[in-house]
Formats: sequence, structure tokens, C-alpha cells
Amino acid sequence: MTTFDNHRVTPWILLAPQLLVVAVFFFWPAFQALQQAFYVEDPFGLGRSFVWFDNFTRVLASPEYHRALGVTVAVGVGVAVGAMALALLLAVLADRVIRGARVYRSLLIWPYAVAPAVAGVLWMFLFDPGLGIVSHLLAGVGVRWDHHLHGDQALALVIIASIWKQMSYNFVFFLAGLQAIPRSLLEAAAIDAAGPWRRFWSITFPLLSPTTFFLLVMNSVYAFFETFGTIDATTAGGPGGATRTLVYKVYEDGVIGYDLGSSAAQSVILMLLVGLLTLIQFRYVERRVQY
Amino acid sequence: MATLKLTALEKTYPNGHRALHGIDLEIDDGEMVVVVGPSGCGKSTLLRCLAGLETISSGELAIAGQRVNELEPAARDIAMVFQNYALYPHMSVADNMGYALKNRGVPKPERRRRVAETASLLGLEALLERKPGQLSGGQRQRVAMGRAIVREPRVFLFDEPLSNLDAALRVQMRLEIRRLQKRLGITSVYVTHDQVEAMTLADRLVIMNGGRIEQVGTPLELYARPRTRFVAGFIGSPAMNFLEARVKDGEIIVGDGSVLAPAADIQGSIAVGIRPEHLRVVDAGEADLTARVEMLEPLGADTLAYCRVSGLSLPLVIRLDGGAALAEGQTLAVKLPLSRLHLFDLDSGERLPWHSPETSIV
Ligand SMILES: Nc1ncnc2c1ncn2[C@@H]1O[C@H](COP(=O)(O)OP(=O)(O)OP(=O)(O)O)[C@@H](O)[C@H]1O
Ligand SMILES: [Mg+2]
Repeated sequence: MTTFDNHRVTPWILLAPQLLVVAVFFFWPAFQALQQAFYVEDPFGLGRSFVWFDNFTRVLASPEYHRALGVTVAVGVGVAVGAMALALLLAVLADRVIRGARVYRSLLIWPYAVAPAVAGVLWMFLFDPGLGIVSHLLAGVGVRWDHHLHGDQALALVIIASIWKQMSYNFVFFLAGLQAIPRSLLEAAAIDAAGPWRRFWSITFPLLSPTTFFLLVMNSVYAFFETFGTIDATTAGGPGGATRTLVYKVYEDGVIGYDLGSSAAQSVILMLLVGLLTLIQFRYVERRVQY
Repeated sequence: MATLKLTALEKTYPNGHRALHGIDLEIDDGEMVVVVGPSGCGKSTLLRCLAGLETISSGELAIAGQRVNELEPAARDIAMVFQNYALYPHMSVADNMGYALKNRGVPKPERRRRVAETASLLGLEALLERKPGQLSGGQRQRVAMGRAIVREPRVFLFDEPLSNLDAALRVQMRLEIRRLQKRLGITSVYVTHDQVEAMTLADRLVIMNGGRIEQVGTPLELYARPRTRFVAGFIGSPAMNFLEARVKDGEIIVGDGSVLAPAADIQGSIAVGIRPEHLRVVDAGEADLTARVEMLEPLGADTLAYCRVSGLSLPLVIRLDGGAALAEGQTLAVKLPLSRLHLFDLDSGERLPWHSPETSIV
């Protein structure tokens, strides 16, 4: 018992593993990146010089960076809207299923368990210009699919693969949200002469708004950062930078191009962006829809 | 405003549970019918079938003489007040009340006028901009009523609308519902398991048990001539006393041998019912039974005495004047006025035809 009497030390001991993980895998690299962002390093890593904000101004002025920002926004909006709309549709349908509901739901949740890279490869094969089933079918309706050549098709592929991956996550939340809506509200609305369509938009959808907003934030973060694996496996940022998102550019410039200063500066900008998104989320969570 | 006619209405749930076993009932225009019965007897199921929230398995439901089995809830032109009120939490009180009008394409100025009218009828003017979450239970109840009234439907349905309120508020709202219903003259079906509420609100009472109607009648009819032992025990508070008895040589014999009354055309074992308020404490000479007081429940105006009678398994409840000097352990000489007796078959629970030697008061 005596060991537990020292209440000032115990909490720290209990927290230590977590703190250690956070320190080693987050604070230390973040600090490194922040420091790196103010230096220019020679390609052999022999020496570096302090350049103030040069890296930042260079990055922010670069047209390639602007393009990557545009791609990121396109992927973000495409994935968030697509994954949420599809998940909501499936959740509404699943909510009505009575027989075999559990099997149906489990199947819909599976894609979430697939690693991003695997998902990427899966979709790459489906859309492969020579072998893919989907591209074959598309050829049948006169669409020449080759995401190795066409930037917009590559972008579409990345978005589709990411949507497929993220949909399960959204589905779980939407289904839980739908099941939390009291049946009697929808019955009252039915008696109040609202048809199914009107019921959905005037009762169900507003009551789901906390879930929807939460998912919007989560999906944006996902689309910004976690699409990396999918992009790397399907298009590797190409063709010609058509699917090069901000995160992918950090990787390309740093790991492949070995421009550590620029890469670090981009990481710092990304961190600020995440911070901003998180802030919006917290502000929102604090003052949820009032009802 | 409309009549309601139920013919052999049955409901079997998808899981095979048969909740309604052939309900026959006719409700007049403007009448308030209260459906009462124990939990699980199918009251809500009946109401939901009327509303169109559950499909009717067989039989016919007609509103104003027209079959509506296949109509959607919206097309039946009914309004329903739910037990949990089912107010739309994201809409203001005014929007809650105007929702049905809006869905029916009533233009905005008229909608506004009708909501304002209903709000003043219910004293809700000051609350129109609030959300349901910002209202007390009683106010929510009122809004739920308002939402039903504002539409001027042909039929009102109420599913235990007062069960979430405290006792005082329940009495107040009960009076208010009665007043509104009379004033608007809208045909209403009101479900409750509170028999006091049922007695006070009903033009006619429907007693349900196990998915069947036991008896239909005015509250006083049911009180005076319950058709079954179930109805007799259900209507009236405290509940009717039942005494095991047997008929031998044309006489009713109760408990350990007291002869109660002649009964010419009855045989075998029966249950004798008598209400606590009809038992009389008399001088030892006139008594039918002697009862030992086991517990007293003073209610102010009345006192309930729970007594033990030798030869009877159930305690006998007697309602006495609140001023009577009584003590636990005391013995009472009790008389059972013959005109107040109800006889029931012990097995079927059916009322037995019997004309008491004394003239019936009812
Ligand atoms: N959706 C359903 N599926 C299967 N059985 C049901 C369903 N709803 C109700 N029941 C059953 O039907 C019977 C009647 O239920 P109902 O809700 O009508 O009772 P009630 O009289 O309203 O009771 P209470 O006073 O407790 O509200 C019950 O035995 C109940 O278990
Ligand atoms: Mg019920």
C-alpha cells in the first residue's frame, strides 16, 4: 500500500509510456521539422546554413505548391462529400433492413480494415488500362481510361479509392446516429403529412447534424493526410503532379528530392493547417447544435 | 369530425404475436372514447392501427363510413399525441405546431394565424420561439396538444399523454383535455392505464384485456354492472372485494359458513363481489361477517380498513368515514347490502344473472 501513497509520482509513472510515445514520435520530429524549416542543407548533409524564412517564402511562392494545394482541396472536397453522401445513403438503407441486418452491416464495415496501400493496389488493378475490369467496361461505353496518361482520371481514381476506404467509417457513425433518432418523431412526421423525402430532409437530416459535422472534420483530415498510402500505391503523385497533394509533396521533396529545408517548411505549414482544423472542431463540439 | 367504425379488427405482429383478437367498436361523431386496460393488453397497438402506423392484419377500419385500412397516416386526417410527446427537437414551438400545415401546403399567413390562435387557446403565446428542450414537461405536453389541435383533424388519438406528468399537473391537464375536446367536438380515442383518468374523461369506456374488448359502456354503467370479474376488479378504486362462496340448497354461503342470501337458479362455487365503499359496519346483531382490522390507511376524507375474515383467503377492504374511531386489531361487524352484490362464475369470470331480494339501487 505504501507505494501508492506517493500520489505525486504515481500519475507520472502511469502516464510515462504514453508520454514517451508522444515525445518520441510527435514532439521530437515536430521540433526537428520546425528547426529544419529555417535551414538550408547541402545535398550531402555536410553543412547547413540558417536562412530565416527563406524556405517558407520559397514554398509559398512556388506554383507547384499552389497546384498541390489545389489538388489537395479537390481530393478533400471530393472524398469528404463523396464518402459522406454514399455512407449516409447506405446507412439510411441499412437502417430499414430488418432481416440479416448484422451480416449486411459487417460487410459494409470491412473496407475499413483494409490497409490503404492494399486498397490502392486493388483499385489500381480494377482500373488498369490493360487488365482492369472497370476500364474494360468503360471502354465498352466509349471511355478510354488510362490514369497513367490523363491527370483528371488519375485524380478520379485516387478519390474513388479513398472514398471506398473512408465510407465504412462514416457508415458506422451515420448508422449509429440514425438509430439514435426516436422512431416516434418520424411517426409523428408521417402523421403530420410529411412524405419519406420531406421526413428525411426536415427531421432526420437536421437531427444528424452533429454526426455530419464531426464526420466532415474527420473526413477532411483523412483526405488531407491519410490518402498518402492510397496515392503512393496507385499513382505516386502522377501523372505530372496531377495527384500530388500537399502531404505527398512533403514526401517527394524531402525523401526523394532531398530538399529537407523546403520539405520541413511544408510540414510546418501542414501542422498549422491541422491545428486550424482541430480548432474548428473543438469550437464546434463545445457549442453543438442546440436542441 | 367523423365517426369511427372497427369491424373484427385483428393485428398480428411479424414475430407472430397476436396483439388484437377481433375488435368491434363504433364511435360516434364528437365522442370521447377511453380505452383502458392493463399493460400489454394491446391499447397502443389498437391506437397505432387506427393511426396507420401499424398495418391492420384483418378486419376493417372505417372513418366517416369510408374504409381506410390501406390509407397512409397522412391521408387518414388524424392527429396523435404521443406519450413522449415526440416534439421535433430542432424546431421552435411555432414550427412544431405549423409543421403539419406546412406539409399540407397551407399558405404562410394562414399558418401563422392558426398557430397563434391555438397557442392562445393553450396559453402558449410566450413560448412560441422556444425549442422543446427549453420547456417544462407540462409545457411540452401542451405543445403536443397544440400540434394536434392546430390541424383540426377528423380524429384525435391520445396514447397515455399524461403519464409523464406529476400527479397535480395530471389532474389539471386532464380537465383541460376534457374542456378542449368538448369545445372542439372532435372524435377522440384516448388510451390510458389509469382508471381514474379513464372514468373522468370518458363519454364511453372500453375495457381491454389480452387483446380483446371485455366491455364497453359509460363509466357509471361499467361501475354498476361490470360484465366480468376482470372489469369489476379494474374499475373503481380501491378495487372491488371478491369473496369465495358456494351455493348450497339455494343459498349463498360465504367463508366459514355465513349465509348471505338466497340464490335460486345458481349452482356450485362462485365469487361474490362487493366494493369497499358499499360495505357497512353495523351492530353485531345485523352483521353478515365479522372482520378483524389488520391495517388502516387514513386518506383524510376516508379511511381504508384492510381486514381479515376467517374462511376467506383475501383481505377484505372496507372504505369508512375518515372521522370513524378505529384501531388496528379491532373487530368489525360487517354487513353486505344485497343490492350491491355482484356474482361471478368462478371459472369463466362471467357475471351471473341474479336478482337480489332487495331492490337494486341502480
Ligand atoms: N412491434 C412489436 N412486435 C411484436 N410484438 C409487439 C410489438 N409491439 C407490441 N408488441 C406486443 O403486443 C402486445 C400489446 O402491446 P401494446 O404496446 O399495444 O400494449 P399496451 O396495452 O399499450 O401496454 P402499455 O400499457 O404497457 O403501454 C404486448 O404483448 C407487446 O409485447
Ligand atoms: Mg402502450
